[in-house]
Amino acid sequence: MYLTPSDLQIGIFFLFSIFALATALFIVNSKNVFYSAVSLAFLGISVAVLIADLDPEAYSLYSAFHLLLYVGATVVFLSISLVMFRGLEVKEVRTPWAPAMALLSAVAFFAVLVLSTSSITPVQVQPLNLAVIGEKIVSQYWFPAVVLVIALLTTMIEALSLARRD
Amino acid sequence: MNPIVVDTALVVASLLVAIGIYGLLNSKNVIRVLLSSEIILNASILLIFSMSSLAGKSYTPLIFSVFAIGMALTEVVVAFASVILYYRQKGTLEVE
Repeated sequence: MYLTPSDLQIGIFFLFSIFALATALFIVNSKNVFYSAVSLAFLGISVAVLIADLDPEAYSLYSAFHLLLYVGATVVFLSISLVMFRGLEVKEVRTPWAPAMALLSAVAFFAVLVLSTSSITPVQVQPLNLAVIGEKIVSQYWFPAVVLVIALLTTMIEALSLARRD
Repeated sequence: MNPIVVDTALVVASLLVAIGIYGLLNSKNVIRVLLSSEIILNASILLIFSMSSLAGKSYTPLIFSVFAIGMALTEVVVAFASVILYYRQKGTLEVE
């Protein structure tokens, strides 16, 4: 008996789903936030794999972007910056109604998703490539791109002013 | 599009949102709160792509997510700057 590409896709998806949920649980339960921040990198990798596995032909480009910018920049920045702090151990706070609230929100969220997806009708498939994405960002989505560039620039200035000693 | 994969993605996204909310409610550490919000961000991006694969391939979720990740980077740096200032003033990472 041989595995078909579809079986492999489902197998990889289940494996990384479990991995993503396990790392998310570790993030909220770890007693040291440095380990939580490192686990966020593994969650980012899992989500990138899940996105690529949804439709490898269409979304592998974004998946690589997620790995580069989110895991490679954001999470690494967060993890390295945490070294500056002392006392990263988290004091245990138990909110008795937090698990019930989280479970309730998951059920409500999933119900809304199921209701909204039942009315979706697939549109015509578009071929996806990098050249068209770049052209669309420049022509159609130029304003959000400008806002993003300005936000990143102010972030850099902020980081420089923070790194400067008083 | 594999329907089993898309349905699983919806379940995983819902569970990640629940875990993120649990982390937000169950912690007084500012960095833990920031990390919990990052879990919800990851869930929302996974959700955007799973919904998009249901509706057919389109450029909109790709471009939207690229901007979302860029803004997430900015948000993390700004939030972290606030955490540093808080730590300098209070000497602790726990909020009251």
